Amino acid sequence: MSNPLALLGRIATYLLLIVAAFVSVFPFFWMMIGATNLSADIIRGKVTPGGALLQNISVFFNSVDMPRILFNSFLIAGLGTALTLLVSSLAGYGFEMFRSKVREKIFGGLLLMLSIPFAALMIPLFIMMANFKMINTYQAIILPTVASIFIIFYFRQATKAFPSELRDAARIDGLKEWQIFLYVYMPVMRSTYAAATIIVFMANWNNYLWPLIVLQTNEMKTLTLVVAGLTSAYTPDFGVVMVGAIFATLPTLIIFFLLQRRFVEGMLGAVK
Amino acid sequence: MSGLKLRNVKKSFGAVHVIKGVDLDIEDKQFVVFVGPSGCGKSTLLRMIAGLEQISSGDLFIGDKRMNDVDPAQRGIAMVFQSYALYPHMTVRENMGFALKFAGRPKDEIARRVDEAARILELGKLLDRRPGQLSGGQRQRVAIGRAIVRHPDVFLFDEPLSNLDAELRVHMRIEIARLHKELNTTIIYVTHDQVEAMTLADKIVVLRDGIIEQAGSPLELYDDPDNLFVAGFIGSPKMNLLDGTVEAGGIRLADFPNDLIPSPIAIPAGTAVTVGIRPEHFDPTGTAALDTSVEIIEHLGGETYAYARGTGSNLLTIATDNNRTLKTGDRYQARFNPASLLIFAKDGQRLR
Repeated sequence: MSNPLALLGRIATYLLLIVAAFVSVFPFFWMMIGATNLSADIIRGKVTPGGALLQNISVFFNSVDMPRILFNSFLIAGLGTALTLLVSSLAGYGFEMFRSKVREKIFGGLLLMLSIPFAALMIPLFIMMANFKMINTYQAIILPTVASIFIIFYFRQATKAFPSELRDAARIDGLKEWQIFLYVYMPVMRSTYAAATIIVFMANWNNYLWPLIVLQTNEMKTLTLVVAGLTSAYTPDFGVVMVGAIFATLPTLIIFFLLQRRFVEGMLGAVK
Repeated sequence: MSGLKLRNVKKSFGAVHVIKGVDLDIEDKQFVVFVGPSGCGKSTLLRMIAGLEQISSGDLFIGDKRMNDVDPAQRGIAMVFQSYALYPHMTVRENMGFALKFAGRPKDEIARRVDEAARILELGKLLDRRPGQLSGGQRQRVAIGRAIVRHPDVFLFDEPLSNLDAELRVHMRIEIARLHKELNTTIIYVTHDQVEAMTLADKIVVLRDGIIEQAGSPLELYDDPDNLFVAGFIGSPKMNLLDGTVEAGGIRLADFPNDLIPSPIAIPAGTAVTVGIRPEHFDPTGTAALDTSVEIIEHLGGETYAYARGTGSNLLTIATDNNRTLKTGDRYQARFNPASLLIFAKDGQRLR
């Protein structure tokens, strides 16, 4: 530590980390504090816990049909995640396991499509859904995300670490291809599935723009839409908004902490 | 009867021909070893027998049945892989019983057969562990156990000992030899290690570039190789191979211009040949000799090898009948009996 330059570098590193920590943690802290304060206090910038938590919660539950909204959110995020993982991992497995002359071309084309922003797809997708008479249905939210290019890519990369001799051994043991996928590949790749679960569930749970367009009646709306709706009044009650934000954040937090260890393994590409 | 017949079997990946026409008969209960340098097609050939690779052309018979298009699980084979390929999420017991479970066997039969295999391989205490908790040697035994429980007609081993350390490899080699006696089935075993091939095989098949160079018993290949490749590949330390030209009274070697050595066979003068002599065929009581200078000495205790040269740059490997007094820089008369020489033509084929 005698070198002053090194000391300076260390100080700069810590300063940067402190700023980064503040930027990532403060909104969460602000949300928790805000939920206990009245709207007026929040606007005034009060950063200490207040006594209005129960009041905020009761207002929130009175203005929102919570069971219905949670059902919608969990159904869309849960079913969407399960289907996305199934379809995209099948595709990733297929891309990696089966040799074909056109494989890389198709895969390259898929990756190119990642660069198209959702805003550009929104209107054609809406027209398509309208033609299928699926506006204001769960399918309209779930189906467009089921074949996720990013998740296919992710599974293909992870499958490179899947030992092909395991597949050979399973074939000799008498398994058909789908059985190999079900009984060997899926259990062996469970870390990858866990990491993908977190990514996909969070994306589905937080999805805002597409549900906003497609879900048109109140009884179909998701928690994200409802919480966002709370701010659109003339005088939004920010304490209530914060309570809603906490409820909207909790499931992703719980899933992350449940799968955290596997998430890290999956991101490292561990096949054990 | 579970012999195998391969008739003009070929394999190509696009324009690349990996197996270029293999004819081979393997008898029931024979231990056959495919050996050859990496890339020679030995593993591909094994995978074709297993059904993991399509056969591009030719016929494969197991027993009397043509198996070209039969599913791997229906061929009556079991395979042991180099990387063991155990299912990491299952216990040893589940790994071994997996194939039987899928074949719809009753639970008590699966348990009986797993226990029987565990007894043969001394795996009893490990049955409830997972592969991740086992050592390399134990995993290999489980992989063999998984093959045994299926009661296959033919065992296929793909370089099963390559991932083990030297000591364990010798141990497992003996285990596999014992297993062959105990199970009394046909075994096809792939390795690049000629010592494994020599010690285990009833019949060795030497492959190079997708064709069979020679097939025969270990001693046939050792004593009577058909060509330079087999001569150089079989035997450890390797056979000495020296270029020379046939003259009226014998063969004059390029590295030993002062010694005219008698030829064991009649060859027209002027023919360019390669002369092979195994290190262990040098014999202090031999009738012919090469005058060498010793460069390196290796004392193995039971034998002393001298690495020596004539006038050229090639080092001869000589077993000196455990001559412990030999030193670097000594002149050494490497004596041998001309009958032990093997003579090869310039195209590599043996001259007899």
